[in-house]
Amino acid sequence: MDQTEKLPSKVFAYAMVVVLLLVFIGPIVWFVLLAIRPTATAFSMPPVLFFEPTWDAIRYTFVDPGNNRPQLFNSVIVAAGAVLLNLPFSFPAAYALSRYKIRGRKNIMLWYLGLLMAPPVAFLIPYSILASSVGLKGTYFSMILICQTLTIPFSVWLMRSFIDEVPVEIEEAARVDGASTAAIMLRIVLPLVRPGIIVTSMFAFVFSWNNAAFPLVLANRGTTTLPIGTLQYFGTAGVTWGFIAVAAVAAMIPPMLIFLALDRYVVRGLTFGSVKG
Amino acid sequence: MSSFSNFRPTRRGLMKGGTALAGAAALGGLPGRASAQSKTLRVLLAGDPFYYAIEGLKDQFEQESGIKIELEAISLEALQARLTSSFVSNEPDADVISVDQMWLGQYLESKWILPLDPFIKKDKDTDIEDYVPEILYSMNTWRGQVGTLPVASYAQMVFYRKDLMDAKGIKIPEDGSWTWEEYTDIIKQVNGADFDSKKIVGTVVAGQQPAPIVHMYTQLQASKGARWFKDFPAAPKWDFEPTIDSPENLGALKAFVELYKLAPPESIGYNWFDAGMRFAKGDIGMFYWWTAYSYLCKKDGYMSGKDSVVANVMGIVPLPKQPGKDQVVSLGGHSLGIAGNTQKADESWQFIKWATSAKTQKAMGLFNKFGYQFSDFARKSLYADADLLKIYPYLPGQLVALQAGNGKIVRPPAPVYTTLEGIYGLNLNNTLSGAMSPEDCLKQTSSFFTNILKGNFLIPYNQPSFDDTLDATKALIKSLA
Amino acid sequence: MTLASVPAAPRKRVRRHMPDYVPWLLISPSVILLLALIAFPLLFALKNSFYFWNLQMGPTPLGFVGFDNYKMALQGGFFLGALWNTILLTVVGTAVEFTLGLMIALLLARQLKGMNVARALLIMPTTIAPIVVGFLFRYMYDPGGGLIPWLLTSVGIPIPAQGLLGSSTTALWAVLFADVWQWTPFFAIVLYAGLLSIPDDILEAARLDRTPPLALLWHIKLPLIKKTALIVVMLRFMQLFNTFDLIVVLTKGGPGSSTRTLGYTLYQAGMVDFNIGLSSAMTWMMVIIVNAIIGLFVFFAFRDWD
Repeated sequence: MDQTEKLPSKVFAYAMVVVLLLVFIGPIVWFVLLAIRPTATAFSMPPVLFFEPTWDAIRYTFVDPGNNRPQLFNSVIVAAGAVLLNLPFSFPAAYALSRYKIRGRKNIMLWYLGLLMAPPVAFLIPYSILASSVGLKGTYFSMILICQTLTIPFSVWLMRSFIDEVPVEIEEAARVDGASTAAIMLRIVLPLVRPGIIVTSMFAFVFSWNNAAFPLVLANRGTTTLPIGTLQYFGTAGVTWGFIAVAAVAAMIPPMLIFLALDRYVVRGLTFGSVKG
Repeated sequence: MSSFSNFRPTRRGLMKGGTALAGAAALGGLPGRASAQSKTLRVLLAGDPFYYAIEGLKDQFEQESGIKIELEAISLEALQARLTSSFVSNEPDADVISVDQMWLGQYLESKWILPLDPFIKKDKDTDIEDYVPEILYSMNTWRGQVGTLPVASYAQMVFYRKDLMDAKGIKIPEDGSWTWEEYTDIIKQVNGADFDSKKIVGTVVAGQQPAPIVHMYTQLQASKGARWFKDFPAAPKWDFEPTIDSPENLGALKAFVELYKLAPPESIGYNWFDAGMRFAKGDIGMFYWWTAYSYLCKKDGYMSGKDSVVANVMGIVPLPKQPGKDQVVSLGGHSLGIAGNTQKADESWQFIKWATSAKTQKAMGLFNKFGYQFSDFARKSLYADADLLKIYPYLPGQLVALQAGNGKIVRPPAPVYTTLEGIYGLNLNNTLSGAMSPEDCLKQTSSFFTNILKGNFLIPYNQPSFDDTLDATKALIKSLA
Repeated sequence: MTLASVPAAPRKRVRRHMPDYVPWLLISPSVILLLALIAFPLLFALKNSFYFWNLQMGPTPLGFVGFDNYKMALQGGFFLGALWNTILLTVVGTAVEFTLGLMIALLLARQLKGMNVARALLIMPTTIAPIVVGFLFRYMYDPGGGLIPWLLTSVGIPIPAQGLLGSSTTALWAVLFADVWQWTPFFAIVLYAGLLSIPDDILEAARLDRTPPLALLWHIKLPLIKKTALIVVMLRFMQLFNTFDLIVVLTKGGPGSSTRTLGYTLYQAGMVDFNIGLSSAMTWMMVIIVNAIIGLFVFFAFRDWD
């Protein structure tokens, strides 16, 4: 961009970046330390930065009795399942909304987002009744299904903007050759929006992974997920911060790793229909 | 190029989408780790200290009975949410559950738990007469039925710093022969003193709304003779007319506000454990709280295993009295019940019997993984046990407190208790912070109560009442022995 | 791709416009699924809002009561107060997150060396579960030894004696801060992506014209990312409006009712008091309110869009 950056302004910029990192990453680091802190140093004043780490909390939560270990697997299953189920529903819809100038297209797009208006907390009891009336209470599938209310709206939006960027000419050429819509959609467009699929899946994964409200009523002991696992240590007689921190860190790591590893898609993915450059 | 016209979308194209769907379905169809096998019992508990002891001992039960246990502990609110959604959708979530005394009536009447009377009668070695009757009355019986059995029982007592009081030459009565005024005066005396390189704060309160502050305040309220309702539950006809706005209660509230002034300001946000841990930190002179803190305060963190600085200088004595009023001690704790929709009622009963038996409760008291963190016994025999007395020498005083207890007066298990507690706690908290005067607090709380009770068809009360007295419970116990 | 190279398979008639049902066929699976998943609870709530159903009184609905639940919600005094808190939290929160996010986005858009790493790290707070953020801040706000009170007092900023979460003047802002911390990076990245997609020639032309930075921002950059900005503001507005899990962990609606939002009141009525009739009525009241707000917003903001 601008090549004639003045030095003081550059220094200022870098200084701001450092401040930002301290503000946004600092607390995370501080909280992660809590997982290996000896209990006495958790609330020492002034705060203690260096201490001898203890593995007790990690042992209790993941080894013996290791209540959080199965929860980790459950979270993976629910989130991965949600991602897989999400695509067959949102991709065709995104394609249709991108390519077809149907009446009310704008309203439909906004309707998807508008679904996020409904307060999730109001749905907990009805969902639990619904799930058990069809025999799905406590199953992974019920959570995977309900998470679609979070993932599909977002996915349709993200994917549509990716599909918008694929030149229509390619499709028109294929259509001239007699290819059907399904063929075009799946064999031409889909491979070209691979970055879009990746970004959409990232967000779908993270939304489903981080959701704590639905597993609260839809899961049973065998299928409960990590965020709920942190609640278990928030007791009335006492709060075991070390355990909470370990479970919380375990809940934080996969989404963070995914976003770090697939970082190059993040910015690409979050263009909600800006002017194309 | 020509491949496009030969393309068969119906097969290939659907395959990709189909694969994704199949993947989702496969993952979704995975059986949850805990599918109901024939001999596995699901136990859902609140995460109080008793949980850790049971967790440490559950192998014993599994060996003795051959029944496998899946133990799970969650916070009290999450427990309520889980249990309620499970019962409303009629989907069994657990076989044995922790039932708080406030939910007992609701659960029994909605048939969400099974009455235990038949089980107790059949099983003589339940030894029901060994229980302190006041506990069974307060925590486990409703309308003449036993719904649960206690696995951990708490009373309230006073905890103080022996070393501080000795240094100041203050004598604390060991037999409960003091008044609330004297109690407050002592706190005033030590407030602000320098001791042990710390500045002492007189007392500490649990001010967080809704439940912690209500737990703490209602003890003071009951001890000073104030009550929630006109006639409940020990009356032939129940009358839920609120008696919150009474001179006794005003006196109690003013005394409570005074205590807060002698406590750390941040304790207005303290929950149960925060208050206890503050005392364990060493800068509090004296406070009253649940007896679980007799051992919890000896450690520097929840289940941390390390001693706190007050571990060896803690004195435990009975609560002060209000002159002219009978003492009433608040009772609390946790109890186990059999879920109404379980398929394994007999196995559930076996577990409950085991967990509440004298033998297991003693083992829980001797469980040392976190440093002897359980003395919440409900059975008289355990209070005379030599081994336990060695570790928890304060037990005799605790028994006296339990025997003066009446949970049904201090926190009456009215049907909409949670809602009432929510408002009461809110207003109490506002009073402590100064946002509301004590008079306004009681007036507003009383009118709110009336509105809610009316709106829930409790005033006037047209359902059959049950004269729920301690004697009735004693008779019930005898009949089941 | 000339007509001559095509094999002798029967050729479909190629039309400029595909049959009308195709787009609907593609959209309908997602729409049907979402409608089913959202409509059911909403209808459930609608029906039950007119009945007396309080699990603390009985396991099944006990009778038709018309609009009594709605009246109780308004009279209880909590709904209106919660509405005020919610609007305050939502409006201020969205505004702060947008502004800070924009400032960060502008900073990142300079694309100085090494900023990519920073950008990748900055989004971490948004990837954390809200409930975990709640625990994180509860730990940091702890009056007995939390990092934040210590930092504030070290630089001389007074904090209330009851702690930031314990004082009714600061509690709501403390909750807001936690939300701002978590979601500002989201705004930052989205707005940054938007800024990046502004064509270079426009920026070059502005630079040659020596446009001052503020005018550049206000008259050129913002209008060009308007659509993105509006969408993300709308998204966050709706999410903030419904927030409850952060409050459940941090303050439980206290102290007093200073952090009681609509979402929390709904949670309290439904999952703590178990008054399903009341919480259903509140659900619909909330849905109507937020629908009205977003409806107005959409009408004005997206008028001239495709």
